[in-house]
Amino acid sequence: MQNAASSPSPGMRFYVVLWAGLFGIVIVEVLLTYAHMRPLALTISLIALALIEAGVALMYFMHLKYERRILFWSLIPALVFVLVMFDHLWPDAFRVTSMRLPASASSTPAGGGQ
Amino acid sequence: MSAEMTMQHAHGAVAEERPYGFQTKKLVMWLFIIADAATFGAILFAYGYVRVGSPDWTKPFAFSPTIVNGIVMTFVLLTSSLTMLGAVRAASAGRPTATRWLGATILLGTAFAALHLREWFAMIRGGWSPSHNPLGGSPLFGATFFGITGLHLLHVVCGVIAIGVVTMLYRRGRLDASYIETTGLYWHFVDLVWMFVFPLVYLLNAR
Repeated sequence: MQNAASSPSPGMRFYVVLWAGLFGIVIVEVLLTYAHMRPLALTISLIALALIEAGVALMYFMHLKYERRILFWSLIPALVFVLVMFDHLWPDAFRVTSMRLPASASSTPAGGGQ
Repeated sequence: MSAEMTMQHAHGAVAEERPYGFQTKKLVMWLFIIADAATFGAILFAYGYVRVGSPDWTKPFAFSPTIVNGIVMTFVLLTSSLTMLGAVRAASAGRPTATRWLGATILLGTAFAALHLREWFAMIRGGWSPSHNPLGGSPLFGATFFGITGLHLLHVVCGVIAIGVVTMLYRRGRLDASYIETTGLYWHFVDLVWMFVFPLVYLLNAR
């Protein structure tokens, strides 16, 4: 990141290389999907690759790398904080699974148990 | 104090250096993008929540045509980001090719929307809806799929319209290059969101 005002961005050749790299990551994501990985490992891998893609797009395509540092520090930590706070819902999501009634009980008509 | 000195003093106060070093419209676009990122984050987390909490979750997507279509859509949207970068660079340098780059971006954005709608209509013909799952699993699949991809498609359509308007006004000389840069920020954000939608909504639901 630059400390000065916006500086000239790289040439088109650099962007073409990034574009090819990003599409390469998409192909890797598809290959991983059909690599018979465990669901949790696949989910973590796909999210990690998506975060790398998002970082490249944010820093280079959206020129955040070439703006003043204060822009990055004004915006990104706040967004990360919000997204981390969303993670508090996961324990509840797993709790919902364990609270489900057995299929035979849940198929009882409404009011049937009263 | 003379009137001239008063004006100079006032001018000095008004012309204080911009903290971010760019025009206000670009800062407003960044603030919108961060707010919109939190919105997409919220619906993707909500999708994760109902998916984890639904033991009868459906994985309906076959490699062909759905995943192949998704790869083509990703390629089209990524390429449209590249053409948008070309437009921003050409406009900043004052080259007339900027409108051609913008035209290519509009075409690619329209192609993405068309591919998306084709997929939607095929699913709707197959019995899918936001409240119905023809495979008998959780109906929340349709609700989250159409909700997330629909919100993204709305962003794409709005982006294509915005780029069209900016292109027209730029050609007439009523807007300068900074408007193309600001519109480009939005377009790259739409691309960035798709980088999460494709793996989380499509690939994680592949058979």
